Amino acid sequence: MNEDTNGRKILSLVLLILGLVLLAAALWMDITKTYLVVDIGTKVALRGLFLVLGALLILAGLYFIPTVMHHRTIINIIFLFPLLFTFAVTVIVPMFVGVFYSFTDWNGVSYTRMVGFQNYAAMFKEAAFIWSLLITCLFVIINMLLVNLVAFLLALLCTTKLKGVGFFRAAYFLPNLIGGIVLGYIWQFIFSNVLTKILNSPHSALASTGTAFIAIIVVYVWQYAGYIMLIYINGLATVPKDVLEAAQIDGANDMTTLFKIKIPMIAATFTICTFLTLTSAFKQFDVNLALTNGVGTVRNFMGQRLSNGTQMIALNIYNTAFARDQYGYAQAKAILFFIILACVSLIQVRISNKREVEM
Amino acid sequence: MKKYLALLLALIMVVALCACGVSTEQAAAPAASSSSDSSSSSSDSSAAPEAAGKGIRLFNGKIEIATPLEEAAKAYEAATGKKVEVESLGGGVDLQATLKQYYQAGNMPEIFVFEGKPDLANWKGMVVDMSDQDWAKDTEAGFVDEDGALVGFPYTTEAIGLAYNADILEKAGVDPAGITGPESMKAAFEKIDSMKDELGITAVIGYCANATELYWSTGQHLFGNYLDAGLARDDTKYIDLLLDGGKLDLDRFTPFADMVALFNAYSDPALLVSGNYDMQVSGFAGGKYAFVTQGSWIGSSLTNDYKDLYAAAGNFKCGYVPYAFIEGIDTILTNAPSHWAVYKDGNVAEAEAFLNWLAGPDGQKIMVEQAGCVSPFKSCTAVANDPFAGPIADYTARGKTSSWHWMDQPSNLAQDYTGAIFQDFAKGDIDAQGFIDDMVQTIPQCING
Repeated sequence: MNEDTNGRKILSLVLLILGLVLLAAALWMDITKTYLVVDIGTKVALRGLFLVLGALLILAGLYFIPTVMHHRTIINIIFLFPLLFTFAVTVIVPMFVGVFYSFTDWNGVSYTRMVGFQNYAAMFKEAAFIWSLLITCLFVIINMLLVNLVAFLLALLCTTKLKGVGFFRAAYFLPNLIGGIVLGYIWQFIFSNVLTKILNSPHSALASTGTAFIAIIVVYVWQYAGYIMLIYINGLATVPKDVLEAAQIDGANDMTTLFKIKIPMIAATFTICTFLTLTSAFKQFDVNLALTNGVGTVRNFMGQRLSNGTQMIALNIYNTAFARDQYGYAQAKAILFFIILACVSLIQVRISNKREVEM
Repeated sequence: MKKYLALLLALIMVVALCACGVSTEQAAAPAASSSSDSSSSSSDSSAAPEAAGKGIRLFNGKIEIATPLEEAAKAYEAATGKKVEVESLGGGVDLQATLKQYYQAGNMPEIFVFEGKPDLANWKGMVVDMSDQDWAKDTEAGFVDEDGALVGFPYTTEAIGLAYNADILEKAGVDPAGITGPESMKAAFEKIDSMKDELGITAVIGYCANATELYWSTGQHLFGNYLDAGLARDDTKYIDLLLDGGKLDLDRFTPFADMVALFNAYSDPALLVSGNYDMQVSGFAGGKYAFVTQGSWIGSSLTNDYKDLYAAAGNFKCGYVPYAFIEGIDTILTNAPSHWAVYKDGNVAEAEAFLNWLAGPDGQKIMVEQAGCVSPFKSCTAVANDPFAGPIADYTARGKTSSWHWMDQPSNLAQDYTGAIFQDFAKGDIDAQGFIDDMVQTIPQCING
């Protein structure tokens, strides 16, 4: 028994060390750009082979560590490894790299120096960015109310015993199936060519900041209400029939049933829907891009004349990176955006959890 | 027993994974290995993993000439046996952003497109100086960077002027050569406007200031005339002034604003603010406008995309008058719209050989006759089938061309700043003085910010 443990100890050590050496060699080859190649029938580059072999040897080494206590944990980790690795490579590592870049003057190709918190300080002095932040907040609040209101009314309509309810459901949901960019161009045509003729107005609604902002809201509500409506329909379907029947027998009219029974009973649905509309409105990008591309004149904001009157924050970040070549600065903005979104989501989850306990 | 089973499974996994690893590595391996003489021992080949036989890649930013370029690549392969892969992007794709992704992924093409200094700044130290190439002696349109290195290959020439429909002007009795300044331009506009029904046109000029879609037309091309119209090719006075804290010369900008006011007054109201590029170009092709504020690139649209409209309007002749906002401005702007650079860590020799071939008679024949490019090379004898090729050649021969420098503006100036001011002006929110004031106030924000 003791010998067996010893054997395993040595085996595990050898495997671990061998694995580490192979990994280090692969890393070294990558950094120094040395391409070692062997010919075994076909030519094989050693770097990838070393990397894979090294990783597997380490895993095997971990497996043979002579411990009873942690054996299960080690096995769990080994089995989780592919998932954890993928998650790290696609989410965790890019996120840290992103944070790092936000402290540099990266232009998308290379960076020349670290700028510390300069990027973060600069964005609060940039009137155009503050404006984007403000109108995004305004947009979120208006949309959260409007989308939910419209969606709930549509849901009520689609749960009545109306003829052709199936058709209406499909019709309301359809806009959500069209991509935002396409939708933006469709509506651009409507605003610029159709509405100008109908209303006999000289200019498209998209040409003035105020009306263009309203136009974006209209399109967004049109796109999103159908989707939220489906969730409300689902919610309304969960209201027990017997409760509704009881209310009817008690003489409650439709309004009372709606406010005293249906709405309280689908409170959780409301939470989900508010959350969904909140985060998606914050991230509004494609419709904004296609409809106005952020253009709009603001005559005086913080003592400046702005041309990005309808530019939401996501589009602002995009333009900072791609139109102005300030990738590092855009990255800093994106991190602020991430923090805001994370805070909003956390608060939202907190609140919704509380309510669920009460129910 | 179970333990052995587990071991066996693990072994299978190892083998499978190794196989995967090998096969993915192999794609990258030949490039590295072929430089060593296929000996079984390993060899240490340093930084450049490219080799002969792999061919080169050309990243083209002008989607309109994608097919002819591929033809040229095929002809080159037939002539030399070297492969050229053409990758064409355009139509709203952010080219430099795509290139950056390629760079990050270690997948840089050998030849890639760039527009002006701001784009090139990203690739500082990564492009090859081509002043020793044969084609360099044959043209003046190559792109020279700050250090005097010739880094940009000119593949075409484009022109910016006030394009006109010669048939309409003739019918109206307006001599385009007589438009030499603001008064004569205004007189010509008024005359054509008074004969609109007779001539069957919708408006005198197809000018569109939609800031969402055509900021580049107003904020870059039209504004570019303030920067360069009438100047000698090497005169950079106004762009220098602009880049020096965003200064405008009001003696020059005020008459420019008056010209824009004239365009606003005589443009098609349906097009002016709410229109788009297609409306503008198809309108001109269909003979609805006597003038249009677009450059030579619409020539190929007239003969291809809108050929039915163009034929219905009588396949009219086209020409250019200068944007003569000051009496005596007599040049149109011509330049290579963008250049091709050669990436220094790529297959430089083959890329340079291809460019030399393309600048030669065989390459230019395809570029001019099929792609409709106006050749920037003096030795070229091919003639393009393009309604604007003649007028451009005429201006060039008379030496009445200016270079254009709007490409040296910060890349977001038009999109984020000036485009919207042109739109406000067109809408009537501001008058000419307001237009000037807004420009004076806004441009420094971009240049200094």
